[in-house]
Order: sequence, then C-alpha cells, then structure tokens
Amino acid sequence: MGGQKNSFLRESFLNELGPVVSVPELEELRVRYLGKKGLLTAELKNLGGLPPDQRRTAGAALNETKEFIEHALGQRKQELKDLELSRKLASEGIDVTLPGSYVPPGRVHPVTQTLEEITDVFVSMGFSVEEGPEVELDYYNFEALNIPKEHPAREMQDTFYVSKDVVLRTHTSPVQVRVMQRKSPPLKFIAPGKVYRCDADISHTPMFHQIEGLMVGEDITFSNLKSVLETFLHRIFSPDVPVRFRPSYFPFTEPSAEVDIGCIFCKGTGCRTCKGSGWIEILGAGMVNPHVFEMVGYDPKQYSGFAFGMGIERITMLKFSIDDIRLFFENDIRFLGQF
Amino acid sequence: MRVSFAWLSEFIKTGLSVEKAAHLLTMCGLEVEALEAAQNDVIMEVNVTPNRADCLSILGVVRELSVLIGAPIVLPPAEITVKEVKTGPAEIKIEIRNEDLCRRYSGRVIRNVSIGPSPEWMARRLEDYGIRSINNIVDITNYVLIELGHPLHAFDLNTLKGGRIVVDTADNIYRHIKTLDGVERKLHESALVIADAEGPVALAGIMGGASTEVEESTTDIFLEAAWFEPVNIRKTAKALGLSSEAAYRFERGADMEIIPYALDRASYLMQELAGGRPQEAVDVFPWKKAMPRSIDVGAGRVSKLLGTDIQKEEIVRILERLGFAPRWNDSVITVFPPSYRQDVEGEADIVEEVARIYGYDKIPTTLPASRLSIQDAPTRRNFVKAARQSIRKSGYSEAVNFSFMNPQVLDQLFLPVNDLRRSAVSLINPLKQEESMLRTTLLPALMENLKHNQQRDIRNIMLAETSKVFIEGKEGELPGEHLMLSGISMLNKTYSFWRNGKDEFYTAKGAVEALLDEFRVCDRTFFGPCKEPFLHPGKSADVIVSGRRCGFVGILSPTVREKAEIKGKEEITVFELNLDIIFECLPQTPVYHPVPRFPAVERDIALVLDEAVSATEVISRIKDYPSKLIESAAVFDLYKGEGIPAGKKSMAFNVRYRAQDRTLTEEEVEQVHEGLIKDLLIHTGGSLR
Repeated sequence: MGGQKNSFLRESFLNELGPVVSVPELEELRVRYLGKKGLLTAELKNLGGLPPDQRRTAGAALNETKEFIEHALGQRKQELKDLELSRKLASEGIDVTLPGSYVPPGRVHPVTQTLEEITDVFVSMGFSVEEGPEVELDYYNFEALNIPKEHPAREMQDTFYVSKDVVLRTHTSPVQVRVMQRKSPPLKFIAPGKVYRCDADISHTPMFHQIEGLMVGEDITFSNLKSVLETFLHRIFSPDVPVRFRPSYFPFTEPSAEVDIGCIFCKGTGCRTCKGSGWIEILGAGMVNPHVFEMVGYDPKQYSGFAFGMGIERITMLKFSIDDIRLFFENDIRFLGQF
Repeated sequence: MRVSFAWLSEFIKTGLSVEKAAHLLTMCGLEVEALEAAQNDVIMEVNVTPNRADCLSILGVVRELSVLIGAPIVLPPAEITVKEVKTGPAEIKIEIRNEDLCRRYSGRVIRNVSIGPSPEWMARRLEDYGIRSINNIVDITNYVLIELGHPLHAFDLNTLKGGRIVVDTADNIYRHIKTLDGVERKLHESALVIADAEGPVALAGIMGGASTEVEESTTDIFLEAAWFEPVNIRKTAKALGLSSEAAYRFERGADMEIIPYALDRASYLMQELAGGRPQEAVDVFPWKKAMPRSIDVGAGRVSKLLGTDIQKEEIVRILERLGFAPRWNDSVITVFPPSYRQDVEGEADIVEEVARIYGYDKIPTTLPASRLSIQDAPTRRNFVKAARQSIRKSGYSEAVNFSFMNPQVLDQLFLPVNDLRRSAVSLINPLKQEESMLRTTLLPALMENLKHNQQRDIRNIMLAETSKVFIEGKEGELPGEHLMLSGISMLNKTYSFWRNGKDEFYTAKGAVEALLDEFRVCDRTFFGPCKEPFLHPGKSADVIVSGRRCGFVGILSPTVREKAEIKGKEEITVFELNLDIIFECLPQTPVYHPVPRFPAVERDIALVLDEAVSATEVISRIKDYPSKLIESAAVFDLYKGEGIPAGKKSMAFNVRYRAQDRTLTEEEVEQVHEGLIKDLLIHTGGSLR
C-alpha cells in the first residue's frame, strides 16, 4: 500500500511540476506537498497511526519521496532563476557599436617625436642630455667655436641679432662650449633644442630644431666618430641603410665630415629627394678643433673628441615622407593627427 | 662654383668620366652638388667650403684631381714678348702705404690694345660660369679669375693721373668713389683704396672706379694683380653692401705667389686676343721676406687621431702630392704648405689633409672604449616628457610655433604697462614686423593656430605647446628663459555623442589637474577670479602650487576673442603653466604611511549655500574641523533650480571618518558629524537641504 502511495505522490508532483514557469508558482507547489498541511506532510503525520514495524518502512519510503520532491524543486528553482536572469540580461542589451566614452588622446608633434627618438638612441649609448640658452652670446655662438667676427663662415648662417653681442643661437653648438667650461673630461652628451636663422623660403624656416653631440676623452678617434654615428643612423633609419662620410668644413671641427645616408626613397638609384645623387646629407660632424679646446682650457695634446650636429626637421621629413617643412609650424590638426 | 669639365680637361688628362671625377671630388671634400649639360661640355656645380679659397678656380679643382689620381698639371700658356713702346704716359710708379693690408702689388702697362668683343669660346665660358661678356680686356681679367682664381683689374692708363698708384686706407683723405656700377659710394676710414695722384680710382679688391673704366676708346691699360688682406676686404664689402667675384676671393684669402703668373697669363691673352703690347711688369712685394711657414706633426699623431694605422710612407706620399714638401725623422714630420693653402695652420689641418686624401671611407668604425662616467640623472627631461604626455592624454595635440611674437599682441591681451610679459626681447633684424619680438607668452600663437584650424572647418580644436618664453634680463645679462606649457581648446559638442552639460572651464582645469596629479602635486589651489585681463572674470583661476603662482586657467574673454577675430559661439579655454616653477615644487620621494586597518564610515551633507561660496571653502572648513577622525571630504553634487531659491545652490559633500586604532562606533561618528554640520552652517551661512 505504502509503495503505491509514494509512487502516486511522485507522479502527481511531477505532473504538477511540469507546467510551473515561475518562482511563486513553484513555491505554491512546495507548500502543497511539503507545507504544514501539505500532502506529503499529511502522510508523514499519518505514520503515527501505523504499527511500529510498518511505520519504519513506510517512514523511510516517505522520506525518500520527500527528498525526491525537494531535489526536483531545487533543480527547477535554479532553472527558473537562470531563465529569469537571462531574460533580464537580454532586456538590458545595448548597442555595442556606439562609441566608447574616453578622452581621445592628442598627438605629440612629429618633430618632438623624432627629437625624443634620437635622444633615446644616444642615451642608450651612454650620452647624457644638456641644455643651453636660446638667446646666446655672440662669444659662445661664434667666437669660442673658432668663428671670429668677419670670418667667412659666418655667412653660412644668417644670424638674428638682439644686440651687438647677443644673438639667437644659430646652432646648438654653443652648448658644447658652455658644458666644457663647466665640466672636465671625459664628456659624452647631446644637446637638443631650437635654433634660429634669418632665412625663410620654401625649404627654410627661421626657427628649427637641432641636436648637437660631443664626446671628449683621452683616446677619442675619428674611427669612434664614424662608429657612433653609423650606429645611430642604423637605429633611426634601418640597419642596412648605407652611410658615407665625406670631408667638409666647420670652423669648430678638424677633420670635418658631412655624413650622408643612401637615399631611403630610391635606394640609391637617384630620385627627386636625393637630387639624383642617391645620397641624402643627414648630419655634420668632425673631430673637435684644438682651438676650441684651448678656448675652454682643455689641453689638446691630452684630449681629443668628436662633435656632431643634425637638423631634426629634415630627419623627420625623411622618416614620415613629409615634403614641406612649413607644415611643421602651421599646427593643422589634420596634419598633427597623423603621427 | 661652376666648373666647366671641358676647361678643366685642358689642364689635366684625367681619363675619367665627368661622373667619376665628380665622385672623386665629392669624396675628398669638394662636393659636386649637380652636373649640368652645356654645349659640348658638362658644368659641375661645386660647393667650395669657406676654408678652401684655393679651389675657387679651374686650377684649384685641377690641383685636387691631380692629388687624387697622380696625373700632372699642364698650365695654360703665358709667354709674352716685351717690346717697349715709347709713346704715352711715363711708367706707373707704385706706392704701398699700408703694407699689412696690401702685401703685394704688381702691375703692367699694356699698350695698343684694340677693344672689341671677345672670341666666342671665351664669351661662352664666361657665360657658362655666370659672368656677362663686356669686352675683350675686361673679359680676359674675368677669364683669368675663373681659370687661376686670382682677381685682376684693368685701368684705362690714360685716365690715371700723375703716373702713379697709391695703395692706402681711405682715412679722411679719400671720401667718395664712384664705382663701375655707377654708384657714388661714401668710404669709411679703414676701406682700402687704390688712388692715383688725384684721388681714389678703385676700391681695392672689390670693384674698380668709373673714372678709369676700360671703354671703347681705350688704347692703353694698366693691369693690376695684387694681394689684399681678407678681413679688411670683407669689412668694406659688408659695409658697402657690395659683393663681387674679386671680393669673394680676396676675403677668403688669395694666393700671393701666383701673382706673376696670373699677370703674365692675362697679358698673354691680351697680346694674343687684343693685339696688346705688354711692357715690363712692376712688382712691389714687401712681404716677400716672410719665412715660408712650417708645421710639425708628431709621427704617430695622424693614426692616433684617426683611429687607424696609416703607414708613415703613405702619409708622406699624400703630403708630397699635396705639395706640402714633407721632411721627416723618426718622431716628427715637418711640412711646408704651399702659399695657396693659407687654411692649413696646424697639426689638425695636416691630419685632415691626410684623412681626406686617404679616404674617409677607408677609416674603420670602432665603438669608443669609453670608461664608465656618472651622468646627471635625467630628472628634468623626464619631467618635461611626462608633462607633455599628460596633456596629450587629456586630448591636446602638440603645437610647435616660432619663438617670435608680434608686439601688437601684448595690447590685444590688454596686458597692463607693468606686466612682466611686456619686457620682451626685440630683434635688431627681424624678418618682418610681426616677428620682431621673442614670445613672452605662448597664448597668442595658440590663438592663431586655433584660427587657422577654424578657418579650415575643424570643429574640435585642442592644442598645447611646450616652449620657452623670454623675458628681458638686466643690463648686460641674457634674457630669462622659462619653459611654459600652454593650451587652448574650443570644442563643438553638438555632434559629440557623449556631450554633457558641464562648463568648458573644467575641460582645461581637468587637464591641469591631471598634469599635477601625474607628479603627485597635492599642494595646489585654483584661486579665482584670476586677474589676467584677457580671461573671463567669472571663469578663470590662478593656479597655485606650494604657495607659488605657476599660471592660470580660464575662458578667453569675449573682448579678446573679438579683437583676435575668432569666430564661433563655443567658449575657448586656455591655460598657461610655468613648468620651471612646477618642477621646483615637485614633492619629495613619498614616505610610506600604513594603509588603514579599520573601516571608514561615510556621511553625506547637503547644504544650500550662497552661489558665491566655493566648494573649496567648504571642503577646507571640513578639513580644518578639529577632529582627528575626519579622513577626507569631497564634493559630489551641485544643484540649482527647482526647490532652491534664486541666488543659492545646493552642494553635497561626502565626509569619511576613520580611526587608525579601532573600528568607529555609530555614536562616535554621529557626535563628530553633528558638530561638523553646526560648524559648517555657522561658517558658510548655509542651511541643510
């Protein structure tokens, strides 16, 4: 009899569980079977009326049924919760293609980017970074660099004058002298910054950026100069770009060199950028002229060194294929946004 | 300098193509910048550096090629037949009154010249070089100038007064001269002139005088070949704003030794092409006795400086080819550079000469064996870099402008007379009036950038610049240079999906706060209103860091906008910070404080306040309240409108309470909080909402 009762209970419970679709309905069902006046609870209460031997078996069977019902209820409850959550989440859906909320970052000026990249290469080779004034004494800009007044080399650089003795520096080279006056060898530094020339046309702006470099020690050679600059150019352009050194003239270096790289556009076959030569002039360099050492009180017999200087706009133009230097100073957002 | 390859090939048999010759020259320091086709010829455009006056001629370039390939030089003919002609004025007597400025003066009378056009080949060579053909005599002087590099001058002998030539400075005796170009020129005291018995007839080494010019009617000439001191020539040419082929060479240093040959060569051409009869030359050479210069070079010095092993034999061979006449022993090489190499002065020059002929490309590359040296920490560089990045992340793109400023912008910004930014540095020779001063603020340039972009229909503009400004220094001192970071923004949010209602002022302020946060600068205040006359008085603040004013942030005033002719309705925010000051105020390395072990309790307060009461006033009142339990306070809501009386606002603050040594009880917090509210109501004049 007990077995029938139990299977009847289970069957009727399962029949009622089938259509349940909400948590409250499920609760009603639970009360109907397991509540104080529930069907199963009533059966359990009836156990007291049975003889003790039957009571045990009937009790065990009923408890089994109870566990069965409880388990089924729990399972269904979880199912319903999951269903409910996924319905809720589905209703909360948004358009994920709308733009994200953030502050769109601005861009760093391409000249600054190049300047920092070049600086980082030299810093990686152990060079420190020095600064000097942009409004400079004629003495530091020219005389201490072996360019006395009336020297023809002054013509190479059209100078802005603030007074008879004060100029806007025409190159970053005066920083060489200032640092050498302040510190003793060995020295190894670069000096980036703005420089000025009284000149404005398609390919010249009255202000541009340069990086100067100086290395002084007891055994610094021209061979070292070649090596440092070649390493630098390979890092900035590409490891296989050809580099050539050819003699030139700067009053503050001797021997002096112009450094060319193989044209990065035509790979040396000749194009408009390299004016058909296959080479692009990229920087000036040389061994520090003994006169310059004497001016700062270094003994040229004991010390030697090399110096170099380069224009940043030019390198930036080559790196990013920019064809007009004036674009750098218009600050058009459509230009700046590209870098 | 333009060098005809055909002309050059008359001097030397190179057996080289013009391209190969150009390459060799380029790699030894005479850069051939371009090759230009001409009639049966190629013109090489040679970039002669200022030290190489000796290469400003066909002969000079030939000498370089000869050194490189070892081929001999064949000099052009200069044999003349001197036949005395007795007619005409007596011989010219030469007197050098300043032997330092004129170290050699030679000349010769050439009689019976017939003036006429030059032969076509000569005229073409002059034109290929860039000199206009005038007549055979003048052309010959120019031809020899290009050929040998030595400037010559021909006077009409019959216009020279008194049969004499005086070389002297103008002092106060010679005041004016009318030069060949027809210009009457006033002479300064130190100008070197050539005079006859009556007055100046030429500006020495620069240009001849009109009164002695060779003309159609000329029959006899006096041909001058001299040496003038470079600095003097340069000063005079510069003072008169006059340049000429002759001056260009003299001011770089001409060759004293070539004078007799140059004179003969020109005389020969005049004899052959103009029927001239050369007379005996006169040569006054006060510096003749000057010892030939010698330079000693340590034997190992070349290899040591170049960082490669070049054998002494090789060095000597190069020096011999250069005509430096080397002598040597075990330790020293002594050289005697030729007179045309005035640029060679010391050991370093000799090293350079050897290196450039040996070939820079043959010198190996060796990384320096440098000793470890301690560098200054790159603190400042990193700071500037981080500041730039911070402002970039706030949306500003970096602008770079010229350091120049239009003096008018100071008025446009209504800067008072005593404002430091009026102490601008002026240029003596600006390119234009609008660029005649150095910037004292970066703002005007950014306003121009804004306009530039606006005119190109760009709606959202955020630009910032990091550059120096220059403030006039004391007498005898260089100007003060200060690194500024300045920004401008104008945003059209109409088409922005996430537009919100907050005032534009906070865009700029947020950027400044983000920057200060980047460096953990906590001691900062935005103190308004700011006194800058170009800012909106209600929407601007001074930025104070550690008690020092380091800049401003605000909305550009409508008056300034109007003056600057900036269109559009959107507000323009600007800021300018002195990075030098911020750098000096950077906090020290932080000291660790234990993180709290006990929970905080939060309480909110909503106050109805007068509009004039600032959030900062309330927060500093909270922070100053005498209780150790208040950890922090922040504003989290601002409301005006319905339910709040006009002229008032509601602001809500969040206060965090915490003890370091225990969990606070509700009662403890409540007690302090009530006291705080009472205090706030009294001191802010507000009421609870």
